[in-house]
Amino acid sequence: MNKFLSNKYAFLGKEQKANTALTNKMRGALKNSTWQFLIFGALICVIGYLAVNKVIPYSLQSGIATTLAYSIAAIGFCLLMGYSGLASLGTGGFIGIGTYSVYYIMNESNMSFAIAIIVALLVSVVIGIIVGFISLRIEGIYLCILTLGLSEILRNLYMALEDTIKISNFEIFGMLVKRQSSIYIVAVVLVVIMIITQNLINSPTGRAMLAMKNSTAAAQAMGISLIKYRLLAFVICTAYAAISGVMLMVCMRAATASDGTGFYALITSLNILAAVIIGGYKSIWGAVFGTYIMYGLQTTLLNRIEVLQENPVIITFVSGVLVILVVMFYPGGIAQLIWELKGKLKKLFTKLKEVRYGKDLG
Amino acid sequence: MAKIWDKIKHSAESFKGKVISLPETIKTSADKMVVRFNHKQLMNLRRNLEFVNVELGGLDAKYDKKAEAKANAFVRSANKKLAKPAFDACDKEEYINALLADKMQRYDKRAYMSHRAVNQSTARALFKATAKGEDTLEILAKHLEKMNSLSAKRSAFEEKLSAEKEKFLLNNSTADDTAYVTLNATLEKQYEESCTAVATKLAEAKDKKRAKLTAKAEKLTAKIASFKTEEKDRQGVADDVVLSVKNLKMYFGGLKAVDDLTFDVKKGEVFGLIGPNGAGKTTVFNCITRFYNATGGDMLFENKHGEVVDMRDFKVHDVILQGISRTFQNIELVKEISVLENLLVACTRSYRTGILAHAVGLPLLKKEDRIFKQKAMGILKFMGIENYAGWLAMGLPYGILKKVEIARALMADPKLIIMDEPAAGLNDAETKELTETIRRIRDTFGVTILLVEHDMGLVMNVCDTVCAISFGQMLAIGTTEEIQKNKAVQEAYLGVADDEDSATEEENEQAPVAPETEETDKGGN
Repeated sequence: MNKFLSNKYAFLGKEQKANTALTNKMRGALKNSTWQFLIFGALICVIGYLAVNKVIPYSLQSGIATTLAYSIAAIGFCLLMGYSGLASLGTGGFIGIGTYSVYYIMNESNMSFAIAIIVALLVSVVIGIIVGFISLRIEGIYLCILTLGLSEILRNLYMALEDTIKISNFEIFGMLVKRQSSIYIVAVVLVVIMIITQNLINSPTGRAMLAMKNSTAAAQAMGISLIKYRLLAFVICTAYAAISGVMLMVCMRAATASDGTGFYALITSLNILAAVIIGGYKSIWGAVFGTYIMYGLQTTLLNRIEVLQENPVIITFVSGVLVILVVMFYPGGIAQLIWELKGKLKKLFTKLKEVRYGKDLG
Repeated sequence: MAKIWDKIKHSAESFKGKVISLPETIKTSADKMVVRFNHKQLMNLRRNLEFVNVELGGLDAKYDKKAEAKANAFVRSANKKLAKPAFDACDKEEYINALLADKMQRYDKRAYMSHRAVNQSTARALFKATAKGEDTLEILAKHLEKMNSLSAKRSAFEEKLSAEKEKFLLNNSTADDTAYVTLNATLEKQYEESCTAVATKLAEAKDKKRAKLTAKAEKLTAKIASFKTEEKDRQGVADDVVLSVKNLKMYFGGLKAVDDLTFDVKKGEVFGLIGPNGAGKTTVFNCITRFYNATGGDMLFENKHGEVVDMRDFKVHDVILQGISRTFQNIELVKEISVLENLLVACTRSYRTGILAHAVGLPLLKKEDRIFKQKAMGILKFMGIENYAGWLAMGLPYGILKKVEIARALMADPKLIIMDEPAAGLNDAETKELTETIRRIRDTFGVTILLVEHDMGLVMNVCDTVCAISFGQMLAIGTTEEIQKNKAVQEAYLGVADDEDSATEEENEQAPVAPETEETDKGGN
């Protein structure tokens, strides 16, 4: 007997097999979340390229850039609320850490962009640790009120420091970053943040956070230290918010602290909360999509409709109603809706097949 | 610095005896910190040793797999090389027949679906027509037409294939197998040679790796041994006792939930703690697992590594590292993740990788995950619920969730499992199964089990020793029969003869199973 070619005509279907193997590989890559994030980032870069070359209008690009910058904060909030079961209304104040460190490091001290990010991270880690320690004693709605107060304190601090801040074009690795091309940086940072978050969620750390959210007693009995993971959750949330602030400064170039609808106002914290609730408080894609509804939908799509252009109140009204509907019918957000739709579609397709070919189809 | 230190010392000495002595408190706290640091280091060392041992255990299987993969790769490449000579060697007519048969088969497979569709539609149309009383002949004619067109298609395909065959045979007709035979022989020789080469190479690598790992393990064990230099005595705990609770007191303000409770739990036994509602059973558990800080008393425990430790030195989340794990009265599982991942939650402290490694997604983490998942699957198999491993914990039935919780407690390699009312909410059959499970756990894993339970049937069946308490105080301790006959216990459950409160009637339902004795029927009246 031959050791090789045990089936005499085994090489018959060789080409076909190679084909299926390739498509299988591609399918596997599409299912892998890291690849999904990378493809998403590439798509955003394509949009940025088209906008820079004036194929699509600039307002679309800037709306998308703002959405992406805010969605970094939303992902951090997702981790805090969906995975650790803690709540915070301080996102607005934490965003300011990023904007002011960019302003003071890059504009006033003429240092590089990387140092600005590092300073923003360091300051936000310190503040996150402080809030984390507070969260050991206070929970639920009281924690919300406390973080809200902290956010307002920070906002007043910003107003006292410098009300309006502005930065000019700057260089990263020798390349000049104009306002039009800032979307590339935001996309890269967002993809990195998404991958890091996904890794954390699927690791023992994410499981420990979920255990802590479900029952603190059981988590402690399983060896999970509350101090460690609550601090971690708040540190991640504030650090992401600070990075979001840096990115907002990169795409907007200016911020005003006394502005009632600005970055640091209560409305930002509430919008991020609403975005995470609409999108789904346990899903990264959900957080990005929710942020798009809260921040990007108006500038990219709805402003082209005349009725809405004249009455922008309608958009606020719609988003409010959306929050109510989602909380009532889909507590898991749009992520849950899509998940359920997928299941229903699958059922529908099998039923259609049955109707067409009969029931006993293998 | 020295001057400042002297000043502090001096000022502290002036306060000595009056308030507190500052240097001493600093020193004791520093000592405590050193002890804690040492403890943490020791813990890390032990964890690393565990991993090295696991790796040593799986070394053979790993290298076997590697050798197999290499052999498979060689066969694949050889098949590729042989493809053309084999084509030359084969009988051309046979070859083309096989090829076309394969094509025909695939065509038929596809055609089957369209036949099905035609049949279905005709059947539906017929059904409708007969229901309405219309003429069915037209439908049948249409059906026939469709079928004919299908068969015509098939015959056209067949003709095409036969044309292909003729063309092929015109071009290739001779069969020459000399190249195939020689190549096959050389390849077979090469295969054997490469197999032996790979085997020797892998054996070398394996030996190297084994030597490296054993050296690592020896180093770690030596380090661990160096920590043990000041060996503690057993602090008065007998050799066969795993947990010794002495004069445990837990006061909530004026309420004495547990008052002066003393008992010993022997190795490898099932110890039951019973008592009426509000007797303080769960409080005892919470004191042992450090959820409550006991007001007074000692809880000495012989941990995983054979040292006797005072549980009061540890924080809540460090208790599991000493070898005590617990289950809860109400199920406290994470509902959003799968059963398998729920078991992994108990291993959180066993991971060597830190948070940064988790964020980056290092390959080391995947390796660790694999090890723990294997272990978890083993335990799920032991509990008989391995089919549920991938299911979300959200929608599973209560009995399964109870089992998952016990499995999670087993994941941490415990020496003592504390079960808080394991039979609560289970039906009779499930309780019976639980009895079996508890016995099996004790026998296979060699753990001691301490349980609180209201189901007297379970307690009397499974427990070796039972301790009855009431209002935080010990009533009796002994074997199940002794407890059943004990008057104090009966009075605590059923009330004294003259009492005719409604409360005693309610308690009646939870009485121990001892209806034969004279005193028991007094409570009902």
